[in-house]
Amino acid sequence: MIGAGGSPLRYLEFGDIVIYFSPYTLALFLLALVFTVLVIASKPERQLDIAFGADAFTTKDIGLSEMRFRRFMAIACGLASMGAMVTGDVFDFCLFTSLVGICNVGIVAAVKSRHVQGAAFQYGLVALAGTVPLFGGAAIVAATTGTLSLIELSSTLLPAVPLVVKGFLVLGVMGEGMAPFYAAKAEMFRAPGAPYVIMCSLSSLLIFLRVIEVVLQM
Amino acid sequence: MIPYLLFATAFGLLLLGIHRKMIARIQRRPGPPVWQEILHALKFSFKSTWVPATASEVLFVSVVLIAIGIWTAAFFVLVTGGSLLIIFAIYMLHKIVEHGFGLSSGSPYGKFGGVRSVISAASEIPLFVSVSAVAIFTGSLQISDIIAYQAESGPLFFAIPLAALALYLVILSKFPSSPFAIVESKEIVSGYKTEHFGVWRAGLETCNGLKTYVLLLTFLSVFVGAIPFIGVLLAMILIVVSLAFVCALCPMLSPFDSVTIQTIITGIMLIYVLYLGAFG
Repeated sequence: MIGAGGSPLRYLEFGDIVIYFSPYTLALFLLALVFTVLVIASKPERQLDIAFGADAFTTKDIGLSEMRFRRFMAIACGLASMGAMVTGDVFDFCLFTSLVGICNVGIVAAVKSRHVQGAAFQYGLVALAGTVPLFGGAAIVAATTGTLSLIELSSTLLPAVPLVVKGFLVLGVMGEGMAPFYAAKAEMFRAPGAPYVIMCSLSSLLIFLRVIEVVLQM
Repeated sequence: MIPYLLFATAFGLLLLGIHRKMIARIQRRPGPPVWQEILHALKFSFKSTWVPATASEVLFVSVVLIAIGIWTAAFFVLVTGGSLLIIFAIYMLHKIVEHGFGLSSGSPYGKFGGVRSVISAASEIPLFVSVSAVAIFTGSLQISDIIAYQAESGPLFFAIPLAALALYLVILSKFPSSPFAIVESKEIVSGYKTEHFGVWRAGLETCNGLKTYVLLLTFLSVFVGAIPFIGVLLAMILIVVSLAFVCALCPMLSPFDSVTIQTIITGIMLIYVLYLGAFG
């Protein structure tokens, strides 16, 4: 289905890699940009925890060095998400998706909580496994059609992309943090630092939304 | 277009008021007046506004503006006949907004609401099924093309009723007091919106009104097609009344049950769309 997200409004060429902005990819790109700016501009909240059995509560503060590292990872995640939203190359899309997975682990791995670190480790394993079908799909696209360009793949002149490729790409992206694999990620949200943690769920959602357009485009 | 946007917001709030009134009458309570949600939005606009001391201030405020922004964008995409995929994306991104509302305050109640919003991600997949079924049938995801297809071939509601049911369930999951409304259930006060008061809550109420209108108009545009404006408004009221019956008669599910049932529904819908793809 050509132009599933609307007709491209603008192309940016970097050699043989072409970035394109359709109404759909532009909307997703802008959202990634807005939340990346929010990561830069926001300070983390102080989470309140109710102390059971007493009339008291505690707050969780984030240290400066931890905050700097997590903010760096969240910004990197935002940049990777933006790249994945507008790229017109299947292999680049897979690369950006993998980078999002790594950054998601980085955003919460610095939190000194056993639950959060355990969840980050488990999520890292799932994301790692997800890269196999992801890059496998991209490799099959190159092998069967001779190109990785989404614009060329949307033309009817090339051989049809095998259905299994679309399944591989969706499965790979789901491994990066969509339901039902999301279960490994849920515990990560115990971590304080809302602006950074939100980037974990936002990036996964954006990648999922983009892969739908990618598979419809082929 | 701006007057229509304002009308849509006000009518969406009125629909939420009708929903509350209907639930109350079904449960033999007097209930609030139907314009209660409009009064709420106005009332919060003039109440004292603050940002909690523990909050991430920029995110706490920005997320309200983002909520209004994305649903305004969805409204314009819908009325200009743009891509259904963008509406789908905005609906899914609303989850991030709920997450942001909940986590930005530092309150445990807001946090639970935000986390519940994230774990109920399966509720979005039926919308994906609806979009896929519509794409298979009409060969396009442009809303203008879908409406034109129905003008020739009749409403999609009769051709793919299960896809319409999937979208109906998506709308149900976003309605207050629905069996799936775990993000704002009473054991966590008001869930993700607990700490947003004053102007911030007024913004959230406005967003809810617009969201209701957009979702119902999407349902009618995609599954019924072009109908006169008065017919659209009456059809919206009818859908809201039917939703009120479901909400009034079904208890709110526990988070585990809600996610389980939504996942089962999602599985059935995926099988349906695979069947449509193979034999439709």
